[in-house]
Amino acid sequence: MPVYYLEIIVVVLGLVMLMADAFVKLEDKRNIAWFAVLVLSVVFLLLFKVSWPESTEGSPFWKFYDAEKGSRGFSLFFKGIAVLTTIIVLIMSAEFRGVLLKYTAKPEDGAHPQSGLSEFFTLPVFACAGLMWMASANNLASIFVSLEAVTITFYILVAYMRRNVGSLEAGVKYLILGALSTGFLVYGFTWLFGVTGTMDLAGIKEQLALDSVNVTAALFAFALIIVALGFKVGAAPFQNWIPDVYQGAPTPITAFLSVASKAAGFIVLLRISGCFFGSGDLSEKVGAVFVVLAILTLLFGNLAALPQTNFKRLLAYSSIAHAGFLLMALASPITLVADGKEPPLLDTSIGVIAFYLGAYLLMTLLAFLVMTAVRNQQEDDSLEGYAGLAKRSPFLAFSLLVSMASLAGVPLTAGFFGKFFVFKLAIQNGACGWLIAAGVIGAAAGFYYYFKVIASMFWNAPAEGNDGPIPVSMPAKVVMVLLIIAIFAVGIVPNLILGLIK
Amino acid sequence: MHDVNTLAWIILLLPLLVAASILFGLKKMPGLSALLSTGSVLITLVCSILLFSATGKAVPVTWISIFEFKVNIGLLVGGDKDPLAKGMMFIVTFIGTLVHIFSLGYMKDDDGKARYFAGLSIFMFSMTGIVLADNLVMMFIFWELVGVSSYILIGHWYNKDSAADAAKKAFLTNRIGDFGFMIGILLVWVLTKQIEFAKFTPEIVANAAKSPLFDIAIIAIFCGAIGKSAQVPLHVWLPDAMEGPTPVSALIHAATMVAAGVFMLARVSALIGASELAATVILWTGAITALVAALMALQQNDIKRILAYSTLSQLGYMVMAQGIAGQGADAGMFHLYTHAFFKALLFLGAGAIIFGCHHEQNIWKMGGLRKKMPFTFWTFAIGTAALIAVPGTSGFFSKEGILHAAHAAGHDFPWVIGLIVAFLTPFYMTRLFIVTFLGKSRTENADHAKEVPQIMFVPLVILAVLALFSAYKPIAKFLQAKGYAHAPEIDPTFGWSLFGLIAGVGLAIWIYKGREKERINIPLFANKFYIDEIYNGLIAIFQDAIAGLLDFIDRFVIDPVVARFPAMTAFTAGSFFRLFQVGNLQGYTFLFGAGVVALIWFLLF
Repeated sequence: MPVYYLEIIVVVLGLVMLMADAFVKLEDKRNIAWFAVLVLSVVFLLLFKVSWPESTEGSPFWKFYDAEKGSRGFSLFFKGIAVLTTIIVLIMSAEFRGVLLKYTAKPEDGAHPQSGLSEFFTLPVFACAGLMWMASANNLASIFVSLEAVTITFYILVAYMRRNVGSLEAGVKYLILGALSTGFLVYGFTWLFGVTGTMDLAGIKEQLALDSVNVTAALFAFALIIVALGFKVGAAPFQNWIPDVYQGAPTPITAFLSVASKAAGFIVLLRISGCFFGSGDLSEKVGAVFVVLAILTLLFGNLAALPQTNFKRLLAYSSIAHAGFLLMALASPITLVADGKEPPLLDTSIGVIAFYLGAYLLMTLLAFLVMTAVRNQQEDDSLEGYAGLAKRSPFLAFSLLVSMASLAGVPLTAGFFGKFFVFKLAIQNGACGWLIAAGVIGAAAGFYYYFKVIASMFWNAPAEGNDGPIPVSMPAKVVMVLLIIAIFAVGIVPNLILGLIK
Repeated sequence: MHDVNTLAWIILLLPLLVAASILFGLKKMPGLSALLSTGSVLITLVCSILLFSATGKAVPVTWISIFEFKVNIGLLVGGDKDPLAKGMMFIVTFIGTLVHIFSLGYMKDDDGKARYFAGLSIFMFSMTGIVLADNLVMMFIFWELVGVSSYILIGHWYNKDSAADAAKKAFLTNRIGDFGFMIGILLVWVLTKQIEFAKFTPEIVANAAKSPLFDIAIIAIFCGAIGKSAQVPLHVWLPDAMEGPTPVSALIHAATMVAAGVFMLARVSALIGASELAATVILWTGAITALVAALMALQQNDIKRILAYSTLSQLGYMVMAQGIAGQGADAGMFHLYTHAFFKALLFLGAGAIIFGCHHEQNIWKMGGLRKKMPFTFWTFAIGTAALIAVPGTSGFFSKEGILHAAHAAGHDFPWVIGLIVAFLTPFYMTRLFIVTFLGKSRTENADHAKEVPQIMFVPLVILAVLALFSAYKPIAKFLQAKGYAHAPEIDPTFGWSLFGLIAGVGLAIWIYKGREKERINIPLFANKFYIDEIYNGLIAIFQDAIAGLLDFIDRFVIDPVVARFPAMTAFTAGSFFRLFQVGNLQGYTFLFGAGVVALIWFLLF
């Protein structure tokens, strides 16, 4: 099946879901989510079956939607991340419905008691279509449109709990800062177009590699684009929206933002920076910018997480910290192999980033699943609520233990190899000492704040009046078990993820 | 199915699968767990028999590759070149099967039955991993897993303090050896840049042997074998490990785990051959262990402990053989192979006796069991005959092989030690045999002893047959053993060991026939040379002193400099960073703008 069918299926799925909500009488709107999960699972399987035409020369379509031949595996991999995340987010949303409905529906108006729920299921599906497209966007226009398709969906989703001040506030902050960054992005794209005279990335790369290129103008364009993409992935100093927005947004949306949105941001960042790394004059400066951003992000994310008392906010900082590690991989540019042979996957930034994101998906979604279940029982996400979790629900505590251990990078978990490959790449490519030092400090600090959560779960007694058992629905439980197994499996045999990329 | 790759992977992964499913799902169904575990080991046995005639090669899977350091999950059962793994695999799965079957009876009413069988399955997984490993790192991982699973099994009755302590002791003692093993592996890698057994070619080894570190590397690797095969000075864990259920003793402490050390030495024999110093150390460690353990066995009263010390002593033989150049390694592996059968037989027999006597283990409280447990009596007799090397039994041929090799290589003194042990073994085994089975019952427990249930006979019979005949050509060749029976050569080795056998048995009969209690009393042997006490003393002195010193350093140096100061700095920095999270939009926009300006400035100016 041609690869672009996947996006089409997902968009149609979203439309069907909307119509089902409007025209089909449903007692329990969760059925819409289960339907979407089913279809998306099929899409996920179809990812292994897609094909490209023999030749993509000449057709304008493939200048708008494709990846370089060598990195088609990656674009499928990122599509896979998007689909998988959406599936889990939908399951999480179904679990989260209790909290959500409190702030959306008003049953006394005579409306459906679950009104507003199905749009909450549908919007992530549209976002998913955008994310998948982004993984294949190879043209400034398609990058921009797909990015905005996702971002605008997120504006709505973040502010979805409209009767909740926190959610609204987060939505407004995200909207205004997001719009600001979009402005920079468009402006940067325009300059890039002006410098190179073309919109498609392959052409841009060629043009930038010419001696005649205007270096200053190109760097200016790059600076503007980096501002916007840095904002998307949460790179310091453009990270300051993350803690507030993550905290205010509905938990499943936070999870979606922190995994899929970040992954998409990184693939665009990789694509565009790849154009600049092709040129000798530019690559030095571009590399230096990434080093600086990586150091700042690593230090900020990890150190600011230390004094956190709110678990959701802690994960927001953790998300910044992981962006730091990903930037660290990006800042260690691709080793050029002399004889034109492809370097091994893990010797390239994109290989390491893909691996890291794959691992990050598993452990972050697991943490958010636990958080969703716990949130059903209490009013907020403060760390105190996790005290004694091991007594209230050994299963949830164990899941969170695995997730935290993996986020911290304990060996035998997926997170360990993620960090390990990043450091390996940096050392291999002779990255500067400060960057590695920042990485080490960040990883060490990570152990502190992740293990703080574990300690609280296992060593502290539950708070008075908040010590009942916590029910977990079956689908969520199944997903959690699968994620735990995957975390260990990847932690023991990292080749599993690499195999998927190939 | 007749493909090495498939078979090897089944053998490796099936026990793991079973262990996992018991631990995660079937814990509440002990009966099913036991059957599943037994079934899985039976399948692996069939696979390992098929393996003898299988063709093809196991395909390695790259596990990690870091710079030059590449680790495969490779399964080394490659064709004819490597009968070592096939033979060993048969022993492991075969003894494993019998022990599982025996356990079905022995652990019938145990509360932790599911846990027990899960433990056995984990053990089988770890042990097959060692046998199949094609490189040192993989072997080391499974080596450690064996340590863990033996900890679980020895401490099965963890409510009993002695069992819990024994498990801890076994684990910690093994860790000491393993630490050496790890250093050895790293050194070998540094010297040769190889960790795969197949890559230790003569040139590479010869090249590495030039380095003065090479001897140290091999001796360090040998430390692993000292721990696992319970050689002096790390032998102390094995007798205590008898606190575990008796089938476990048969499996782990007779045939498989303790043999892993010998197996590992045989695997790296190419390396040992290049280091004369290491070979000498191995030779002498084995010889001394053989002698010391035999002496200790003379004065023990617990039936399982006597067998444990005899295991130590026999392992000493095998290790000694690994240090003999030429035919030594093969002779040692051959002894490992025959010993596995008769020692498992003896342990299972002891298990039957203990079971029959209501968990009585002191031989002086038994007696007269010949009439009460005729079946056990006969099989035990066969096992004893093989252990004391009665000519014609399997144990005789393999032991002769080692002594011959030692004699031929000119290691006269170890050879003499071997002969002395060949006298001591018949002595203490005859003592055990007479006191347990002959004479009159000395206690009520022994008086009321009953023959064990029939399911426990099956393993005993099979093992008895093998204890007698496993050295003969058809069986030995089929199992690709490293040697087989042949007509004894009439030479000094044969003469002296025959003399030792007759003298040992005769002396024991003369001293112990019809006795009610111990006649000779040698406290030095009875107290195992006071080695445990010495260790306790040393540990009390050194460990406390070192711990005190470290405590001081930790409190007054590490804590402030390495922990508190950076922690404070990090926290301060974190709190400082948090100031940027002003919370209002205007602030964020300002910071955002400042970031843009800074970035443009950085890039362009």
